Amino acid sequence: MNETTTTPAAKILIIDDDRELGGMLAEFLAPDHYDVSARLSGEDGLAALEAGEFDLVILDIMLPGISGIDVLKEVRQSSDTPIIMLTARGDDVDRILGLEFGADDYLSKPFNPRELLARIRAILRRAQPPGRGQHHVVGRLEIDTRAGSVRAPGGPVRLTGTEFELLRCLIEAPGETVSKDTLSRKALGRRHMPYDRSIDTHISNIRGKLAAAGVTNPSIQSRRGVGYCLLVGDPS
Amino acid sequence: MRSLLLRVFLSFWSIIVITIAVAATLGYVYAERARETLQGFEVSEAMLEASDALAANGRDGLTDWLESLPDITASAVYIIDDRGQDLLDRRLPAPVVLAMRRFGGPAARPPRMRDPANLRPARPFTQLLGPNDEVYTLFVLPPQGAVARWVSERSGVAFIVIALLVSAGVSYLLARGISRPIQRVRESANAIAGGNLDTRVMDRVGDRRDDIGLLAQDFDDMTAELQRAWQRQTELTANVSHELRSPLARLRVALELARRKTGELPELDKIDLETERLDALIGQLLEFSKMDADPHEARSRTDLDELLRSVVEDVRYEFEDTGIQIKLESASAIAVDAHAGALRSAIENVLRNAAQHSPANGEIVVTLETGEDEAVLSVEDQGGGVPDDDVDRIFEPFYRSTATSGASGTGLGLAIASRGVAVNGGSVMAKNSGQGLRIEIRLPAAG
Repeated sequence: MNETTTTPAAKILIIDDDRELGGMLAEFLAPDHYDVSARLSGEDGLAALEAGEFDLVILDIMLPGISGIDVLKEVRQSSDTPIIMLTARGDDVDRILGLEFGADDYLSKPFNPRELLARIRAILRRAQPPGRGQHHVVGRLEIDTRAGSVRAPGGPVRLTGTEFELLRCLIEAPGETVSKDTLSRKALGRRHMPYDRSIDTHISNIRGKLAAAGVTNPSIQSRRGVGYCLLVGDPS
Repeated sequence: MRSLLLRVFLSFWSIIVITIAVAATLGYVYAERARETLQGFEVSEAMLEASDALAANGRDGLTDWLESLPDITASAVYIIDDRGQDLLDRRLPAPVVLAMRRFGGPAARPPRMRDPANLRPARPFTQLLGPNDEVYTLFVLPPQGAVARWVSERSGVAFIVIALLVSAGVSYLLARGISRPIQRVRESANAIAGGNLDTRVMDRVGDRRDDIGLLAQDFDDMTAELQRAWQRQTELTANVSHELRSPLARLRVALELARRKTGELPELDKIDLETERLDALIGQLLEFSKMDADPHEARSRTDLDELLRSVVEDVRYEFEDTGIQIKLESASAIAVDAHAGALRSAIENVLRNAAQHSPANGEIVVTLETGEDEAVLSVEDQGGGVPDDDVDRIFEPFYRSTATSGASGTGLGLAIASRGVAVNGGSVMAKNSGQGLRIEIRLPAAG
């Protein structure tokens, strides 16, 4: 390992019952300075998360014992740690449920490991915001891009990393329609694929959280078949 | 089942009609005999007895005589006095009142006693002269039984019609009581054949303890067993595909590790490609098996035009590098009640199949038309079509036309499409047309 590297190794937790896969992924990710721990069950994974800090979690949805979805729910109770979930291809229900419960992104198994690496990079790069932090006031929301926090008049709105990134993309171009492809590239680090409803699900999550905080200004409008657009009314 | 209803109905009805006819005939014969008895009555010795009784004991004698008659005769013989009252104070039936009115009161010329001449057959009734010259009018009515009445009067036609209608109604109810549960069993069998294994006959037939109830019970047991077998099958397929994917996942990571150690090799790319193909095949196999086990997802009103546009957009995106043009001609918005996931998958697979078989820069024409109570969606490509003999086989799993063996599909796309349309109550057909294949999906429009 290169001692001169400036970034400390990011700690990644893999929760997957496939022991061999975890081992090989650790080997695969090591040259990119990722420190990988593997747990074989949801219970062990939650215990590991409780015990130590991780920068990112790779979570298999099909787990023996408590399911990946349950692990996801449990983690999201207390932490915004980025989570990439692994789903069986074609299992739309799991994928949509996972995104709704706050997973940042998903990959269907068997995935291309280079794709996994790209997503890990995209999410971690985003999780460490650039030094030039900015404070935006949009409608009734206050957004701090350095801290990654969003405040509504009633209190903070908790968004996952991906959701925050999507909101930021929309805020940077208020009133303009941002294509799903642009949103996908910026927030997920990949181009928008056909049949992929990830962006729609994340946006729907953001809408739900804003609505729960009583915020109707700004509002996110969909432009069917194209993308989304942030509408900002008069601050009042 | 209609024929069973008809047969049972006709059997019951004819039995009832025959029974009525026999009863009526017997009643008629009996009535005729009674009538003959009464017709003989007027000129019989009995009449002379009445005359004697009147002569001997006056009015009381006549009353005694009337009371002494047998019941069946007494009820048909009325003796009316001067004041228009029956000796036994009975209510006078309509024909008697009518005759009295028409032929006036007592006779103008008093008949002699105990003399055949005082019997005046020219009138429709007989009169007797009492000791004090009072006149007694004697009526003998024809038998008045119900059967005799309908036989002898015109209202008999109405009675026949009513009897036929009532017996038909009763027969129909009886027949339906038998054929309806069988109809229910049949409907359930159809529903099960249509893929709804949750159907239970008991829910429709009700809790009967007879043979039909037992049949329903057996039928439901059979369905439940079928459902269990089906679930095992689906779980097996899902488990197999999951178990197949785990080694594939490891294979792909191992492949990347090998690449790092040995550098790029064409053989590694080939392994990568084949791994992807295997993965795609497993994915389609899973989708194909789920299509049968489905629909877990409930039907919902789906805008076909909107769904089609979204699928076309996705497929355009997927094949944008090939230069294939997809032209969408959608006339109108039409809604269908559909399992949207299955329907989407069906349309997607038909479109993808067209794209996979299209030549570079080829054109695919997608049209949506509204027919009578149905939506007709067609996809026409320029891929050269399939041999005419094989047109019906392209919806079979793993069918490959010799003409298109170079194409890239898994061999399951159209099979998935066919099932996806079928679970939505529609039909799909293919035919060679123009420069390629035309696939037509018909779906019932939402009511």
